[in-house]
Amino acid sequence: MKQYIIRRTGYSLLSLFLLSLTIFLFVRVTGDPTALLLEPGASADDMANLRRQFGLDQPIWLQYWLFVKSFLTGDLGLSFYYRTPVFDLYLERLPNSLLLAAVAMILSLVIGIPSGVLAAVRVGGFWDSAGKLFTLLGLSLPSFFVGLVLILVFTVYLGWLPSSGAGTPWHVVMPAFTLGWYFAAAHMRLTRSSMLEVLGSEYVKLARLKGLPEAMVIGKHAFKNALIPVITLAGINLVVMINVAVVVETVFAWPGIGRLLYEGITFRDFPIVQAVVVLGGSMIIVVNLLVDILYAVIDPRIRLES
Amino acid sequence: MRTKTAIRRDSGDNARTDDRKTATITRRAAMAMSALGIVALGRGTALAASPDGQLTWAVHVSLAPTWFDPAETPGIITPFMIMYAMHDAMVKPMPGNAAEPCLAEGWKAAPDGLSYEFKVRAGAKFHNGDPVTAEDVKFSFERYRGTSSTMIKGRVKAVETPDAKTVRFVLKEPWPDFLTFYSSATGAGWIVPKKYVEKVGDEEFKKAPVGAGPYRFVSFTPGVELVMEAFDGYWRKKPTVKRLVFRVVPEEGTRLAALKRDEVDIAYSIRGELAEELRKTPGLTLKSVVIQAPFWLYFADQWDPKSPWHDQRVREAARMAIDYKAVSEALTLGYSPVTNSIIPDNFEFYWQPPAAVYNPAKAKELLAAAGHGRGFDAGDYYCDTSYANIAEAVINYLQEAGIRIRMRPLERAAFFSSYSQKKLKNVIQGASGAFGNAATRLEAFAVKGGAYAYGNYPDIDELFAKQGTELDVKKRTELLYRIQQIIHERSVYAPIWQLAFLNGVGKRVGESGLGLIKGHAYSAPYEDVTLKK
Repeated sequence: MKQYIIRRTGYSLLSLFLLSLTIFLFVRVTGDPTALLLEPGASADDMANLRRQFGLDQPIWLQYWLFVKSFLTGDLGLSFYYRTPVFDLYLERLPNSLLLAAVAMILSLVIGIPSGVLAAVRVGGFWDSAGKLFTLLGLSLPSFFVGLVLILVFTVYLGWLPSSGAGTPWHVVMPAFTLGWYFAAAHMRLTRSSMLEVLGSEYVKLARLKGLPEAMVIGKHAFKNALIPVITLAGINLVVMINVAVVVETVFAWPGIGRLLYEGITFRDFPIVQAVVVLGGSMIIVVNLLVDILYAVIDPRIRLES
Repeated sequence: MRTKTAIRRDSGDNARTDDRKTATITRRAAMAMSALGIVALGRGTALAASPDGQLTWAVHVSLAPTWFDPAETPGIITPFMIMYAMHDAMVKPMPGNAAEPCLAEGWKAAPDGLSYEFKVRAGAKFHNGDPVTAEDVKFSFERYRGTSSTMIKGRVKAVETPDAKTVRFVLKEPWPDFLTFYSSATGAGWIVPKKYVEKVGDEEFKKAPVGAGPYRFVSFTPGVELVMEAFDGYWRKKPTVKRLVFRVVPEEGTRLAALKRDEVDIAYSIRGELAEELRKTPGLTLKSVVIQAPFWLYFADQWDPKSPWHDQRVREAARMAIDYKAVSEALTLGYSPVTNSIIPDNFEFYWQPPAAVYNPAKAKELLAAAGHGRGFDAGDYYCDTSYANIAEAVINYLQEAGIRIRMRPLERAAFFSSYSQKKLKNVIQGASGAFGNAATRLEAFAVKGGAYAYGNYPDIDELFAKQGTELDVKKRTELLYRIQQIIHERSVYAPIWQLAFLNGVGKRVGESGLGLIKGHAYSAPYEDVTLKK
């Protein structure tokens, strides 16, 4: 077991190293950030000054080494655009992202799980067809479209909800719904298939043969077991939600990490992009590592196989 | 007027308290107050009503703390959105005047062009109460490290402060553009308090900036919002709006929605169809501001004898093939004027070219005369993706005339970096909103060695060198006019339009400040901005 954990942790560290190297190189391939911060017509001197300030005049390997070194000491660098420590910016935005992700997750589970159960129980019926349509829309409608439609309806026509920003509980409603929309469909689809699988299993058949009421079969025996993969997925989705809300946060001007990443990309702010991607990636890698370890603890066959 | 507003706005208990107070005013007191009123009129605004209310802007870009420190001003127009509120300059563009004395009461240039002496305005003070002194002016210039800092400092031999209110800039040699660079093309003339900056340091200054502008800093959340409050001690005018809030809303549709629901009062940058929607919405006003940003086609291969673009007739044909007015109508509701120049019409030394001609038949004739009767493959058309909509319209017209060209949109930074590194070919759709005058713009785009000049014409270079040391304004104007004329005659560029920045103004706004300063994209001066009475 100890060896297994060490090996898995080693893989995770390797993933993190590859992620940091990839994002470091990718942002640099996109070009020179000074071209964005200065107008056309800026002199070569001005551009060189700015590059020097950002340390972009250093050899690439040295830039990478400095990035890794400072990252390991908790220093995420200084934003080119905001000239503020990226760590401060990240910490400032994190609570907003956590709030948005938490509300979106609750919404997605509240919508996704019951509708998934209903579709599985009434398989082939009206609720199943409605659920399939919902899944199709949920997974295919882009979030910027959903967001803008919500703004049009609830802000412009009805005047019920604020269009953008943060600060009151009302501000979180539309962005959370937009973010949760896709995940609600994903949770619904997984709940449905998981429920169908469980409902077809031997122990459910046995429960029915025993003459247990249908509500008890579904609610007590099937539902609890069908929920395991959904909760596992939801856990990973929560981490994903924190990190991928770029479009939603931009449409609603929601000050989270997604917006920070958008700003970093827009202004070619290398330290911001590097930090958000590496920290986001770290979260996912850590969650996966914990899940792997947990599975191995529960099921010894896993650690033996690997 | 302002006092009346304040009284009308008071209601309930406050209004009643005011009535009681009014009743107790004696004739003598009234006379004394009238006398004070006369004094106040003489002094400007000492007795004006207190600032009141709040105005909120939905801003299209993320605000950067570097914009709070004039020392780091990049050569782009956007930071001046904040600078005009928080800081003040010795000389700056103001309504009706491209170089108005502000923190300077005035200046005089030495007859030999080797020095400029400024008198600091009496009574001007910073938000912390410190007076603005000659030392602050010298300090601000010396710590300036933004755009063109190397160039401007390289030409200044010394900054002298003979007394607390006098500053003298001594130049190494005569430089007729000194004032242009000091007043608007850089942030070197924007003044910060020396004592405060030295006490807190550069980084802290950006977190809690102190300026000498009409509004003082209250709070800033990066990427979210900036809040400022009226500064009672501003020398020019006491602001009437108490609080200014700049909210960052990157999505255009969201900005319009926020304006429609009165969440914000002014929404910047609303384009195309949304601008039409804005124009149709009752209660909202579409306010267009023509900014100092002309767009153009640049024929990058015109110096290559093997390229079809080398032939002046082909370049002329391309110019005539495009219906610029129709493009402006379709994309900016006709608000972007077709100026037919690469120099903004508000710049000093701007030469007014003849009106642009749309003549597709003549364009085809010219192409036939150049040996391209059946049209020709014109290569690539490079543009910044954010303005690919202009490219699509222009390319349609070029194709119609027989100029077969492929659109190559590049992401903004990649586009400008390739443009400046001279990596692009064939046709480039360029633009610039940088401050300066005709000479500074020509230097970057039309003269040998210019950051964005792919080739040069020796006669233009010669004329440009001459104007650079010419102190006689009339003669210098003639030289710069001649250069612009040559550029026009040879179709070095095909200017498209001067961009109109379209904004939405809500119901509560009296004076939005938009368009008051010619060429400036944003609301300014902020002390002139008002709420409806």
